[in-house]
Amino acid sequence: MKTVRVWFRKTGAACYISHLDLTHCMARALHRSKIPLWYTQGFNPRAHMVFALPLPLGMAGERESVDIKIEEDKISMEEVAQRLSRALPPTLPVTAVTEPVMKPGKIAFASYELRLEPEGETADELAAAFAALLEQPEIPVEKHTKSGMAHFDLMPYLGELRWSAGEGGLLLSMVLPAGSEKNISPFLLTEAFEKQRGVSFLCRAVRNNLYDAERKIFE
Amino acid sequence: MIPGLEKILLKVQKPGRYAGGELNSIVKDKSGVDVRFAFCFPDIYEVGMSHLGMKILYSLLNRMEGVWCERVFAPWTDMEALMRERGIPLYALESGDPVADFDIIGFTLQYELSYSNVLNMLDLAGVPLLARDRQGLSQLVVAGGPCACNPEPLADFVDLFFLGEGEEVDCELVELYREHKRRGSTRAEFLRAAAQIPGVYVPSLYEVTYREDGAIDAVTPREGAPAKVKKRLMLDMDRSYFPESFVVPYIEIVHDRAVAEVFRGCIRGCRFCQAGFLYRPLREKSVGVVNDQCRSLCETTGYDEISLSSLSTSDYSALNPLLDKLLTWTKEEKTGISLPSLRVDNFSTEVMDKISSVRRSGLTFAPEAGTQRLRDVINKNVTEDELMRTVTTAFSGGWSSVKLYFMIGLPTETLDDVAGIAALGQKVVDAFYANPDKKKGRGVSVTLSASGFVPKAFTPFQWEPQDTIETLREKQRHLVSSVTTRKISCNYHDADTSFMEAVFARGDRRLGPVLLKAHELGCRFDGWNDYFSLARWREAFAACGVSPEFYANRRRPFDEVLPWDHLDYGVTKEFLRRECERAYAAVTTPNCREACSACGAACFGGGICHENR
Repeated sequence: MKTVRVWFRKTGAACYISHLDLTHCMARALHRSKIPLWYTQGFNPRAHMVFALPLPLGMAGERESVDIKIEEDKISMEEVAQRLSRALPPTLPVTAVTEPVMKPGKIAFASYELRLEPEGETADELAAAFAALLEQPEIPVEKHTKSGMAHFDLMPYLGELRWSAGEGGLLLSMVLPAGSEKNISPFLLTEAFEKQRGVSFLCRAVRNNLYDAERKIFE
Repeated sequence: MIPGLEKILLKVQKPGRYAGGELNSIVKDKSGVDVRFAFCFPDIYEVGMSHLGMKILYSLLNRMEGVWCERVFAPWTDMEALMRERGIPLYALESGDPVADFDIIGFTLQYELSYSNVLNMLDLAGVPLLARDRQGLSQLVVAGGPCACNPEPLADFVDLFFLGEGEEVDCELVELYREHKRRGSTRAEFLRAAAQIPGVYVPSLYEVTYREDGAIDAVTPREGAPAKVKKRLMLDMDRSYFPESFVVPYIEIVHDRAVAEVFRGCIRGCRFCQAGFLYRPLREKSVGVVNDQCRSLCETTGYDEISLSSLSTSDYSALNPLLDKLLTWTKEEKTGISLPSLRVDNFSTEVMDKISSVRRSGLTFAPEAGTQRLRDVINKNVTEDELMRTVTTAFSGGWSSVKLYFMIGLPTETLDDVAGIAALGQKVVDAFYANPDKKKGRGVSVTLSASGFVPKAFTPFQWEPQDTIETLREKQRHLVSSVTTRKISCNYHDADTSFMEAVFARGDRRLGPVLLKAHELGCRFDGWNDYFSLARWREAFAACGVSPEFYANRRRPFDEVLPWDHLDYGVTKEFLRRECERAYAAVTTPNCREACSACGAACFGGGICHENR
């Protein structure tokens, strides 16, 4: 038995699948692919699957990964990639299968790119509103946690926010804390923007990469 | 994707319902397609995607050259509000094209309270609701499914109904449509021709007249339409089409598993059960065919659970051989087998061991009534001893929770029969503690679930009045107060809902205006407790001057012309009347394997009626 890391992208219609549904979808794809897997021992045997970090609903992912346990004497990593590719829909393409280097628990940061396309306003108006948002002393946001609603200021986390206004709208890129310890979704910023400034836009978001506390890329 | 759709998908719950693109969904090149079929399920995605009939007909229609069948579901209210706000019409999932552009718009009618969704979906599609307002050949609205056995409440809205099983008749209708489209026929010409296909009922070709007392006087066919329309059915189930693959949803649906059909029909003849009469005669598939179909489905979908579906799977004559055959590969592949409908009287340890060898699901049985007398009235043919033996077997096998289904409001029922439900629950609890083999350290949990009886067309109880809402509530209270232990939990269905089901199950064309009014008042998702409002329905009935009690609570004389008398499902009215009289005398009727009761279904020339007993 050997753990391998399957890398895939989440694109198009697949962005509308929640993390829980993605786990079902992946389990069925593994079953279809007939990859010899190691199953949990118990009343309800299940294939072992560990996703590095769930992706919020509606967000695309460029470097998603799931760890599975295979019977290595029966299948190679190349073959896992090939078979799983065939079993997954085109919106969930497999990019590589590697040996895991880092543990998912080490993940501390994630990088995102967001494109905000105005609905109603012009791109210039949207840019002006966004600039005004960032000039506030603080951006109060709230988030559901295990211990109830948490209220905090988002501003201190926006040190690495880069943004520009183009023809189609705003382009934002940022690195935010991510992982099991502390997780800040970029949607907190867009929701605060919508609420505080009363603007409406279509947000296309993608998570590009994951990092550990030393900003080493998650591999 | 439809313009503007992407912008709203992230604003609604479960956008996966509306995005399409699932594994095994079928996308065709429009240039090679001349008949487009929108298969509409009048409920949300998770419910509709669980329905086997839709999977069969979807694959079957898409096998036809030049035909593209797509799926359409009712958007949940949050999505509907945004679609209406932004002017997005109802669209089909595969192409994203508006339903209004389709040739044929087909609805499957599984439940009476989904009728308001049928109207709402047509409205959301921008298709005129009334059949007489639709011009030209396209936007032909068709419907089938069990509720089509009394289609009269929908007669104003639907151009034609399919009676019985759709595998052959749907394709014949599509071919006829194609021919008339090529010829440039009018809608009227096409409908006249369609009415000649056996199993197709065109309501506009029948005139209904009423008597002064409100009952139907006569139903008269026009323009060459047959006086009686007979249902269609597949006689050879082994050769009947079954899909090799299912569309596999991204999001979790109600029945998220592979489904194999082991037989159609039922030998039992429980007198309350409409399906038991509609799908006669019993026709089984052979073990090899079911096994191959299961295998193929698991391979193409990746499901790790197979449900062996039918009206009463433990009545399958080759259940043990089938399970043995399946277990030769399912064990290896960690695939579970579930039997959704087990009978109390033929549940065996052998079967139990086989289905639990991989995965174990809960146990549910349906004694349906609390006392032997009432079980005899409804011809359930299950005894208390059998139930006790079965639950004891189950408890010995490690099960500790059992769910029992009952009905309240059955014909001839008294409060003692209702109290009998609680007493039976108590006996099951006692059986658990009397059992030396029970698992240590675990208590027992018995759930008694009671639904209100709804008399249905084509059953021996089709003439019966339904208990009033007040009586049903009184019986519900009596049931709850008869339970004296916390090991038993009780739940029951809302009586208001049962009442409205009863109205539409045996309604006639005079309910058309009521449906239209209810739609205008905002009725939809009436099968969902959050949305059903009896007050709103009562308003619609009052506005149209129609009494719902006339349909739900009135005892019909045996000689009354019933709204579905011009439809023929094989079983004869004489047989149903005989069964009704036997019910009053609490006399049971043997099942189809024991003896033939001459129900009339032998007229189809196949199935169990013509097998050696």
